[in-house]
Amino acid sequence: MHCNACVVLIQDTLKEQEGVTSVKVDLSQAVVDVVGNFTGDAEQIAKFLTRAIQEHGYTLTTQPVKQPVRWNEFVYAAPISLLLVIGFLFLQRLGVVNLISSSQMQLTTALVIGLIASVSTCLAVVGGLVLSVSTNYAKAGNAWKPQLLFHVGRLVGFFVLGGMIGVIGKTVQFSTVAHVVLNVLIGVVMFILGINLLDVFRRTKGWQLTLPGGANRIMRASQRSTHVLVPGVLGILTFFLPCGFTQSMQLYALSTGSFLQGGLHMLVFALGTLPVLALLSFTSFNFAQKAYAGVFYKSAGLLVMILALFNIWNTLAVLGVLKPIVL
Amino acid sequence: MKTKMIVSAVLTVSLLIGGVLIFTGQDETVAAASAVPADGQQVVEVSAQGGYFPRRIVAQANVPTILRMRTQGTYDCSSTLNIPAIGYSAELPPTGTTEIEIPAQQAGSEIQGICSMGMYSFQIAYQ
Repeated sequence: MHCNACVVLIQDTLKEQEGVTSVKVDLSQAVVDVVGNFTGDAEQIAKFLTRAIQEHGYTLTTQPVKQPVRWNEFVYAAPISLLLVIGFLFLQRLGVVNLISSSQMQLTTALVIGLIASVSTCLAVVGGLVLSVSTNYAKAGNAWKPQLLFHVGRLVGFFVLGGMIGVIGKTVQFSTVAHVVLNVLIGVVMFILGINLLDVFRRTKGWQLTLPGGANRIMRASQRSTHVLVPGVLGILTFFLPCGFTQSMQLYALSTGSFLQGGLHMLVFALGTLPVLALLSFTSFNFAQKAYAGVFYKSAGLLVMILALFNIWNTLAVLGVLKPIVL
Repeated sequence: MKTKMIVSAVLTVSLLIGGVLIFTGQDETVAAASAVPADGQQVVEVSAQGGYFPRRIVAQANVPTILRMRTQGTYDCSSTLNIPAIGYSAELPPTGTTEIEIPAQQAGSEIQGICSMGMYSFQIAYQ
C-alpha cells in the first residue's frame, strides 16, 4: 500500500464482501483488520478476501509479510544519482540560458525559453517535483493515464492562467517571505516523496501529500479511480511553482494585456518544457515494470532528495541566512 | 557483491568530493567599482543573464553606491533580483538598465545580490 487512496480502495472493496461487518486499514503498519461472520479458519478467510482485492494487486495473509529492505540496490543507486546531479550542475555551468539572445518576445522565443527552462535550474524544482510525483504514481502501479493528465493539466493551466494574467494585468507576485515559505514547503514535500521512493522507512508513508480519505472516497464514487483528478490539479498548480523562467514569462503575459496573447505565450512556453518533463514522467512509468525497478526508484529517490535539499539551501540563501551555492 | 560494494563506495565518495571541489571552486571574476567622482557616488555595473557578471566587485567603503543592473534578453532567474541587506526585491526588465541605490557601507562589509531561486549571486565587498 502506498497512500491513502489505496486504503480507501481496500476498505471499500472488502466491506462489499459477504459476511464482513467492519474493516480497518493501517497504512503505516500495512495491516488490515477485518471483523465479520465467516466460516473456516483464518487462512481460508484471508484467501477468500484476497480474491476481492487481487485485481488491484493486493493479497491478504494471516502473518505479517515483512518486506526486506533491499540495501544492495543502493550500490547502484548512490553513484547513479550523484552522477546525475553533477551532470545537471555542469549543464548549468555551461550557461545554457545564454542561448537566448533575442530581446523581442515572440511565440518562437517563448518556445525556446521553455525548452531551455526545462534543462535549467528550474528542472531542480519543477522537474524534481514531476519526477517524485510520477515515480510515486508509477510505483502505485498506475498506468500512463495519471501522467498524461498531469501534462494536459499543466498545458491547460498555463493557457488559462496565462490568459487571466493578461486580462487582469496583475501577476501572481509573491512577497519574498511568501516565496521563501512556498519554496521550503515544496522542498519538504519533495524530500518526503524522495524518502518514500527509497522504500526503506515505512513510517514516512503516512506523511505523504494526498487528499484526505473523505475526499478520496467522494472522488472514487464518481471516477472509480482516486488517481485521476489529482495529477491534473497538480499539473495546473505547476504554474505557481517558483521558477525564474516561468516568472519572467508571466511578467511578459501580464504586459500583453490580452487573454489570447498572454495565454498563448504561456501555453507555448509550457509546450517547450513538455519534451523533457514528459520524458521524466514516462520513463519512470516504463522503469516501474522492469526487473531493475528497485534501483531506479532508489536512484530517483536520492536524486529528488538531493534536489530538495539544494532548493531549500538556495531559498535560505535568498534570505541571506546561508551562503549561496555558486554555480 | 563485496567488490561491487567497494567500487560503488569509492565511486560515490569520489563523485561527492569531486562535485564539491568543482562547484565550490573560486573562479570568481573580480572587478573594481568605478572611481569615485566629485559628487561622491561610485558606480557598480553588473550584467544579469544566466547569472551575474562580474560575480565579485570591490568597492570603496563609506561611499554611497549606484548599482547599475544591465539586462539583455534576460528571461532566467537572474532577472528576479533580491538584495537582502537593503531589503530590495524586484523583477528587472528583460532588456534595459535598472539603477539601485546602496547607502554607504562600512569597510569589511559585503552586500549580496541573489536571484529569487538562489542559484545566481554576486557580492560587493567594501574596503
